[in-house]
Amino acid sequence: MKIKRISIIQTLWITLLIIGLADVAFTGETQQQLTAESMIEQALKRGSLKVGMSTFVPWAMKDKTGKLIGFEIDVATRLAKDMGVAVQFVPTKWAGIIPSLLTGKFDVIIGGMGILPSRNLKVNFSIPYDYTGMSMVAHKNLAAGFNSLNDFNRPDVILSIRLGSTAVPAAQKFMPKAQLRYFDDEAQTYQELLNGNAHAVVGSAPKPAEWALKYPDKLFLPLAETFTKEPIGFAVRKGDFDSINYLNNWITFVRAEGWLQERKHYWFETRDWENQIQ
Amino acid sequence: MPPLKTKKSLTPLDALLAVLFVGMGLYLLYRVNIGLNYKWSWSTIPQYLFRYDPQQERWLPNLLMQGFFTTIRLSFWGTILATLLGTMMGLFRLSHRLFRRLVGGAYVELSRNLPPLVLIFLFYFFISDQIMPVLSVEDFFQARSESTKTILSFLFAPAEQFPTFLSALVTLAVFEGAYITEIVRAGIQSIEKGQWEVSSALGFSRKAQLRHIILPQAVQRILPPLAGQFISTIKDSAIVSVISIQELTFQGIELMSATYLTFEVWITITLLYLSLTLSLSLAIGRLEMYMKHRGAG
Repeated sequence: MKIKRISIIQTLWITLLIIGLADVAFTGETQQQLTAESMIEQALKRGSLKVGMSTFVPWAMKDKTGKLIGFEIDVATRLAKDMGVAVQFVPTKWAGIIPSLLTGKFDVIIGGMGILPSRNLKVNFSIPYDYTGMSMVAHKNLAAGFNSLNDFNRPDVILSIRLGSTAVPAAQKFMPKAQLRYFDDEAQTYQELLNGNAHAVVGSAPKPAEWALKYPDKLFLPLAETFTKEPIGFAVRKGDFDSINYLNNWITFVRAEGWLQERKHYWFETRDWENQIQ
Repeated sequence: MPPLKTKKSLTPLDALLAVLFVGMGLYLLYRVNIGLNYKWSWSTIPQYLFRYDPQQERWLPNLLMQGFFTTIRLSFWGTILATLLGTMMGLFRLSHRLFRRLVGGAYVELSRNLPPLVLIFLFYFFISDQIMPVLSVEDFFQARSESTKTILSFLFAPAEQFPTFLSALVTLAVFEGAYITEIVRAGIQSIEKGQWEVSSALGFSRKAQLRHIILPQAVQRILPPLAGQFISTIKDSAIVSVISIQELTFQGIELMSATYLTFEVWITITLLYLSLTLSLSLAIGRLEMYMKHRGAG
């Protein structure tokens, strides 16, 4: 039996043809596909927006009845309402929140996430809808007389920090000589300070100031102002520009309305919500 | 069993030790109160266990109890799945077929030699992402009628947490199942060879041997280590809090983030776990006694 061989030239031709056909089909469908696959479209189809967040007073926390409240919760609820879908919160540990977004456990992170260049390589950010800054609260005995970043920039100083938060790069940048001690949760970082095992906690304002007020005999605020200014944005998966466009314009819209500023003032500058917690 | 002489009275040494223990406990409490400078606030805790809902006019479980129920669900199903898996794999490891022995061996070595945390992340980020969408678990759940949904929520988890719950459940079962496999294997191997030989001589098939002769005796022997494993399952269920399953530990941590009542919450969680594990210990103890009497009678 004679075996028929396909020559190299023929193989090349066939390959080229297949690639060409696929290409034509692909360019036609790409646009539709991109639109259909965008997070916003998916959420509309599902009828609910899944929001990844992590408990972080006063951004997001559970009140006495187990309901989520806070600045981020208000923002996410309003966003879903404006989209005409239900909102579904997915409480996630902060350290694993980006992998959870990338693997599709939820649509968007609305959880006070600081826009960092390193983070931006993994996820896409909206324009900032809020700004926050790093502040410090220190132990009265251990850090007596400390009143500048330089005072803390010593090898014998221990700083207690929440793992994966923007406080980590801030502390490394401004106090490179200090030792950092990491914890998974905000509560643990402050407990370490109260136990006298750390000189100070580095964290987003306004929390450190609240702790100084709560334990005036043990803690104090070494710095008068926040020492960084960080933009906060929504994070979505890469390659999804339709959603970014929607989110950006939504932010612009509610800011022009004054609604964002009003919510920010309520959660960060008043204490009217305290009795909902305890 | 030779009867042991058990003393009914306490010696002075016992009393001294007891005093020492109590003293240590008290000193620890004193240190906590003095050294920590912690402001205790126990009065805020009960409302997080149960709260009164004025709209529905009844008491509802709050954060901690919700987490506690999730822990119970997770442990319950996890134990059942792990027992099934462990029994099957235990029999595989003793099978006459090489392939089954290899499967059983590979399963035990893989799941026993990885830290549970690593296993959980492997399942959650890799396996569950590939498998769950294919099975379209969530859509299946959403498509059920309201009454079925309520039942499923009661038995497992609410719709939005269902896929995560399943991946945590599978991980827990796989991990605990490896230990149960070894317990089952050891239990079966501990049965005297004569039992096998006699039953074989009486014309029992291998299946019948296992069912009527070997397993009933093995079960009695493996109950104590198995009980320990069931308790481990409850304790290990706390590890799945890292993939944001809203069980007791996760809810506790969330609550601490919101209220900063670190110690009160941890102590409450401890007591809740203890109530679960101790009652299980007691139940298993009863079962052992019962089986002993039945075996002797």
